[in-house]
Amino acid sequence: MTVETDATPPAGSPAHDEHELVQLLTPEGERIPNPEYEPLIADVTEDHVRGFYRDLVLARRVDTEAVALQRHGELGLWASLLGQEAAQVGSGRALRPQDHVFPTYREHGVAWCRGVDPGLLLGLFRGVDQGSWDPRENNFHLYTIVIGAQTLHATGYAMGVQRDGAVGTGDPDRDAAVIAYFGDGATSQGDVNEAFIWAAVTNAPVVFFCQNNQWAISEPLERQTRIPLYKRAAGFGFPGIRVDGNDVLACLAVTRAALHRAREGEGPTLVEAYTYRMGAHTTTDDPTRYRLAADLEHWKLKDPIERVKAYLTRTGGADHEFFESVEAEAEDLAEHLRTYCRELPDPLPTSIFDHVFVEPTPALLEQRDEMAAYLASFVTEEAHR
Amino acid sequence: MTEMALGKAINAGLRRAMEGDAKVLVMGEDVGKLGGVFRVTDGLQKDFGEDRVIDTPLAESGIIGTAVGLALRGYRPVCEIQFDGFVFPGYDQIVSQVAKMHFRSAGRLRVPIVIRIPFGGGIGAVEHHSESPEGYFVHTPGLKVVAVSNPLDAYWMIQQAIALDDPVLFFEPKRRYWDKAEVDEDGSPALPLAAARVVQAGTDATVVAYGPMVRTCLDAAAAAAEEGQSLEVIDLRSLSPLDMPVLHDSVRKTGRCVVVHEAQRTLGVGGEIAARVTEECFYSLEAPVLRVTGYDTPYPPSRVEEEYLPDLDRVLDGVDRVLAF
Amino acid sequence: MSDVSQFKLPDVGEGLTEAEIVSWKVKVGDTIKVNDVIVEIETAKSLVELPSPYGGIVDGLLVEEGQTVPVGTPIIAVRSGSAGAAPPAEPAVEQRAEPGEPGSAGVVGGPGEDMVPPPVPAEPEERQAVLVGYGPRSTTARRRPRKHTPIDPAAAPAEASAALTAAFNAVDHSEVAVAEPDTPPLRQDQRVEAAEPAPAAAGVLAKPPVRKLAKDLGVDLSTVVPSGPGRTVTRADVEGKAGEAPTKAVGARTTGAGWDGQPREERIPIRSVRKATAAAVVQSAFTAPHVTEFVTVDVTRTMRLVRRLRESREFRDVRLSPLAVLARAMCIAVRRTPEVNARWDAQAGAIVVQRYVNLGIAAATPRGLVVPNIKDADQLSLRDLAIAINSLAATAREGRTAPPDMTAGTMSITNVGVFGVDTGTPILPPGESAIMAFGAVRKQPWVQGNKVRPRWVTTLALSFDHRLVDGEQGSRFLADVAAILEDPAQALVWV
Repeated sequence: MTVETDATPPAGSPAHDEHELVQLLTPEGERIPNPEYEPLIADVTEDHVRGFYRDLVLARRVDTEAVALQRHGELGLWASLLGQEAAQVGSGRALRPQDHVFPTYREHGVAWCRGVDPGLLLGLFRGVDQGSWDPRENNFHLYTIVIGAQTLHATGYAMGVQRDGAVGTGDPDRDAAVIAYFGDGATSQGDVNEAFIWAAVTNAPVVFFCQNNQWAISEPLERQTRIPLYKRAAGFGFPGIRVDGNDVLACLAVTRAALHRAREGEGPTLVEAYTYRMGAHTTTDDPTRYRLAADLEHWKLKDPIERVKAYLTRTGGADHEFFESVEAEAEDLAEHLRTYCRELPDPLPTSIFDHVFVEPTPALLEQRDEMAAYLASFVTEEAHR
Repeated sequence: MTEMALGKAINAGLRRAMEGDAKVLVMGEDVGKLGGVFRVTDGLQKDFGEDRVIDTPLAESGIIGTAVGLALRGYRPVCEIQFDGFVFPGYDQIVSQVAKMHFRSAGRLRVPIVIRIPFGGGIGAVEHHSESPEGYFVHTPGLKVVAVSNPLDAYWMIQQAIALDDPVLFFEPKRRYWDKAEVDEDGSPALPLAAARVVQAGTDATVVAYGPMVRTCLDAAAAAAEEGQSLEVIDLRSLSPLDMPVLHDSVRKTGRCVVVHEAQRTLGVGGEIAARVTEECFYSLEAPVLRVTGYDTPYPPSRVEEEYLPDLDRVLDGVDRVLAF
Repeated sequence: MSDVSQFKLPDVGEGLTEAEIVSWKVKVGDTIKVNDVIVEIETAKSLVELPSPYGGIVDGLLVEEGQTVPVGTPIIAVRSGSAGAAPPAEPAVEQRAEPGEPGSAGVVGGPGEDMVPPPVPAEPEERQAVLVGYGPRSTTARRRPRKHTPIDPAAAPAEASAALTAAFNAVDHSEVAVAEPDTPPLRQDQRVEAAEPAPAAAGVLAKPPVRKLAKDLGVDLSTVVPSGPGRTVTRADVEGKAGEAPTKAVGARTTGAGWDGQPREERIPIRSVRKATAAAVVQSAFTAPHVTEFVTVDVTRTMRLVRRLRESREFRDVRLSPLAVLARAMCIAVRRTPEVNARWDAQAGAIVVQRYVNLGIAAATPRGLVVPNIKDADQLSLRDLAIAINSLAATAREGRTAPPDMTAGTMSITNVGVFGVDTGTPILPPGESAIMAFGAVRKQPWVQGNKVRPRWVTTLALSFDHRLVDGEQGSRFLADVAAILEDPAQALVWV
């Protein structure tokens, strides 16, 4: 069921002004020259591009499998990244190990790049925990549900990096940057704007990476801004740049540039990855109520994976066997995810008391004992879900 | 041994903490060059530098949010919220992020930040400068909340709060910033951070207070003594967690309890104490637990604040009521 | 092994409770893979296609198109057996087992268990209670079975031992040390170790209502032996203490004895005679409007008559007293004013004038006041009346008054004079309309002619029921009685 609405932004409206959009790979899979950003991917070989293709396919497969698991009743919720794979893989592959990432709740592609096992993404959405991975292991912070809050955390973290003297030393293994992911809707939040202010006046080594997927649930971009988002940065006093969010090479290049600036001590950058949320906001959402099927068709033609496949096919960088092997790997990954999900144990009820504080209080421990005694008083446990 | 005003005692405690741990930072509006609107951070930026004593943009959410980031990076920020009424822009970061970070990361992440807040009224200020918002934070799991009442406690408790790996809301009674007492800077703290103290022993009723009201209750107890009433005055010091065993022991002895706070009555800390004391000391109670508090109105214009705030007479009226049972 | 797995309808939208099966995309016998779309459902929020969690052969479509079923209802059965089938699993979402459904007793259906498709819950036949605005109320909710009673009423209150410890540690001071206001309060750091002054009732455990009861009854809690759980004083303990002999009022400073070293208070249960008397006077006093009139009479002639008759042969074995003369005088005077001898019959709506006198004589007995009456006293001669009065009094003192003698009185006399009392305002025995209080007879100055002479004088007080007896009637009757006592020869004229 689709609904006729005028929520779809008319082409050419100010927020969309499609000039100054960095693109290196067209939707048809053709490389286009860009003197400013070419050098930043000079090191990228066919092997790398095959790697990116694999990243994109597997990221998508994790995502679609998780949506299916939600429909199976195995997850309460899932926020799909469908359509945004290139923005996430491109930026994710620009990061160095010592860089720190502050995601929202949709950056499964970035998690993939940071080496976080996809199974670990499920706990939050299944309701068995609020983040299964250790942020310190992969420098990938837990997902933040409160819109935009993490941009302040990222900025503060970057201020800490400054104080650690890990900015502008010239040592590529030491100089660190911080990247904060957020969406177009988040740019309206006070916290995001405060983060821009702080990063600007402190010259913090932080990249603000905005995936403008055009929608904040049902509200289109026009509800958040009158001007293209990347131009907001100028108002705060740092550079902003818009990149084709469906072009993995462009995203890689632009993010590298921004991270480099940060590491060099030149301060923050706003990167607007112009993309489209092909799926629903989350599995609870029904996009047919507020947007046209025609828009999806328009953006399907810009699919991030298809263009890479076309590129590799055209250049001979990959053959039928390669693509099949990636598909097979995707199937295995999906199977792994399904099994992992179903075997996730429910937490012990009394474990909720374990980490309220570093130093627990006597009253809390008493409450825990009270809960334990209450649960133990029943003949049988509740049926596990 | 030095005689120190309460505000100066906090300054001295901050200084000690910063000397002891290079990761301790101070951040807030006007805390650096100005030394804070109450001069509590006076001289710190000069001695520790701008990297460690940070004049921040005018954005409370930003102060707390970036402090979270700094803490995740291994620092121990001490944030200042300039006045109680201005904590609310930062409330979301405090309750949604600071309070929950350790819990949601299954213990992997720590946010050892201290948020200092001058609070309470009685200084003739305009709106939003005389609030008592401690209840909102006592109600939030994952936060520890303390309120100092005197210079000696202020000196030690700020250091203890900074050393604690849990986030601490540190409430300072601004009307008592100029109260003086002897502080032995080279001694050691008399009590743990989360301990309550029986400031003065008595037999007829237990009077419980914290922050600015401790002085008021001690004055009331002195006046009561002249009338033949013997009051036991307890300084809670820690609001979350509450040191209930000290209160329970006292109420079991006196059988009567009055809680005093500036904050409005409904859902104040007094209500929580009343519930717990009633639950634990039911068989010892001669009277219900009574509360002497601010009224359930927004904080009034300063010309009537003395009638709004509990004072010696209202405290003793409360004591009389509890003794009349 | 071939397993049949069931897919239960999931909650696809964070808190949805039901969905409609819109259209099946597969049919029984189809071979399906994991994630093949099998059905389209419609929820409150949207249309959703559901992918299959299982691969295999469709064994059964358990819900028909168009049906709306609750979350958790099995909707499809898939028989596995082909390679790559995923193991059957429970839906992950929050589902409280609906009462009446399998699993509601708390037994877990685990993976791999052969599950027979249960019947779809039938629509309830009877009307369900509906709370307006809240929807139909489930009437089958039950508490889950417990291993033991979780709330143990006999469990000791936690503070019991703590309070006793506090009491044990307490030191009795008569004066309390008070801190100097100037002293830094921190010097007074006193924790549990320091001895604290203690009030008298330290350590007594009793709930507030019991404390109030003790206060009201004047019971000192510290003297009560506690019998409640955790050594608490109960209501019964306090009441028991209150019922004992010496009870000390809270705050009293005396030794506790009453006068003469007797117990301070004596408690007499309200029973039998006292109870009846109390009831009677209350009923009478608050039903009949009492008026009392007084007359002071020179009864010298009656006293001489009595002395004379005592020495006569007639009255040799009869103890004659002025009371008998009064009784006879009343029986004579009543004929002139019969209204004073009536009764108020509210039910019949009538005043019943009785033409007989059942004369009651109030008697003080060890068991209390009784008013037995002499039936048809007006028929008796003076001598017989005297005998009857004496007999009646003796019987009453022995407590052997027969019950018929206690009822149906019409008029009464109460002889307060025997106590040396001049007069009173007697209360009518219930049902009677007049009662005469006969005061003490004593020598008093009396005016005769122009001279003052000592004469035997007494006061008569007549209380009458003003519903039946007007002031004129009461006065006339009283005056007539007085006239006879003043001159007994008057009786000759009226009889």
